[in-house]
Amino acid sequence: MKAALLGTLVAGGLAALDATPVAQTLASQPLVTATVLGMLWGDWSTALAVGTVLQILAASTLPIGARTPEDYSVGGVVGAGVALSIASGAPFEHVRQAASLAGVMAGMVAATLGVPLVRWQRRQNEGLARWCENALRAGREGALAEAQGAGVALAFALGLAVTAVWLWLAHLGAAKVEEESLRLAGAWHLLQPLWLGFGFAQLLHAFVQRRLERAGVFAAALVGAWLVIVAGAP
Amino acid sequence: MSDNHTTGRVDRATLFAMGLRANLLQAAWNFERQQGLGWAFALAPALKRLYPDREQRLERLAEHTAYFNTQPTMASIALGAAARVEEDRSAGVGGDAASMARLKSALGSTLAALGDRLFWFSLRPFAAAVGVLLAMARPSQAWGAIALWLVYAIPHLALRFGGVRWGYASGPAVLSGAFRERLEAAVRWLAVLGCVVLGVALAWALAPGGEPRPIAVQCALAVGLGAGLLTAQRARPSPTRWALAFGLLGLILAWRNHS
Repeated sequence: MKAALLGTLVAGGLAALDATPVAQTLASQPLVTATVLGMLWGDWSTALAVGTVLQILAASTLPIGARTPEDYSVGGVVGAGVALSIASGAPFEHVRQAASLAGVMAGMVAATLGVPLVRWQRRQNEGLARWCENALRAGREGALAEAQGAGVALAFALGLAVTAVWLWLAHLGAAKVEEESLRLAGAWHLLQPLWLGFGFAQLLHAFVQRRLERAGVFAAALVGAWLVIVAGAP
Repeated sequence: MSDNHTTGRVDRATLFAMGLRANLLQAAWNFERQQGLGWAFALAPALKRLYPDREQRLERLAEHTAYFNTQPTMASIALGAAARVEEDRSAGVGGDAASMARLKSALGSTLAALGDRLFWFSLRPFAAAVGVLLAMARPSQAWGAIALWLVYAIPHLALRFGGVRWGYASGPAVLSGAFRERLEAAVRWLAVLGCVVLGVALAWALAPGGEPRPIAVQCALAVGLGAGLLTAQRARPSPTRWALAFGLLGLILAWRNHS
């Protein structure tokens, strides 16, 4: 468990890097990080249940221009990490479902609270940029690499620190979640499909863009796939 | 400042180094200069080759730390075009700092308009839809995550590295009509394919493996879909805030029903 906790912390830092400072390959998306954490903790179903819901919500959150969107990179790691740490060792399915609900809620709250943190980080980088320009003009050629390195280190440290705080909160609240697991599992049964439907609609709105023919394509795909899935089943 | 002009050219290894460094374009992203620092860092290999005189090179580097912003993948194209202009400038046939700033501003805004539509509004949601569909269909395997990553990362990294060479070969004329048309076509096709993937994903969510889910679950999906379509008409509150509100409401209902 110690290795899994450590891995989750590192994943939080790495996700914060991929989100903006390094590469932006979408390796930090909740479904990807949840899958990695699922392997790490040895619990696929809990990790993917949380990762799928957070992913569908993250997909409609876009980093356009100077806007600071909800931080689903660290939020995704927090969500899966919280759920997996609560569910680890739980023998009953309803406890794992309760943990999934706690994980999704924690992931969304972490993503929302991540906005002011990312803004703070970007304000620190302003000072870094001014220092870098002055250092270059003063003849220090390595200033660019140093400033870039500092930006990367700050992002990694913040991602790791936020994940650590949430895992500590999960440790404190795990007993309460287990105690209330029947109620929470009941809520999960309805909230999971509701969130999925909500996320599908957000994506659909982005794709359709008020064009009737695209709405028709969606409807045809839905009906066709339904017929194939249901009629094709043994 | 030295007046030591060179006739050096930017070679393939330098363009590759620029592509590699473009991965750190946003390492020190900030509100004041946005990608300015990362831009200078990515352009540094070309400047090092073109300006052997240290003082002149540092002056150019400092100049390039000024404000720049565009969609990060498409920035590679602008980097290549800027390297081409710097090449001319180092040979004494290019413009001055003001014309470079104008070029960066023009390329940045045009590439942002195209790149936001292609990468943020189309490819990113499409990759997510494919990933979620596969994760629901194969919940005990990693195919969803792998597909999501591959669908986005392959074109993203290809353009990040290839874009520098492309921009360098074409120079400031890189944003021709044909290039724009190809991107617009890609956006249209991704939207249509996205509709298909979402249709299949929703059908699977209603009846995974051909087994229809309980009516309460199907109703919850339909309510979520309806609420999503209604709330998507306005940008605020954000989808996350709506989802959090649904979560809190669900918890309150669960407590009331069990007490």
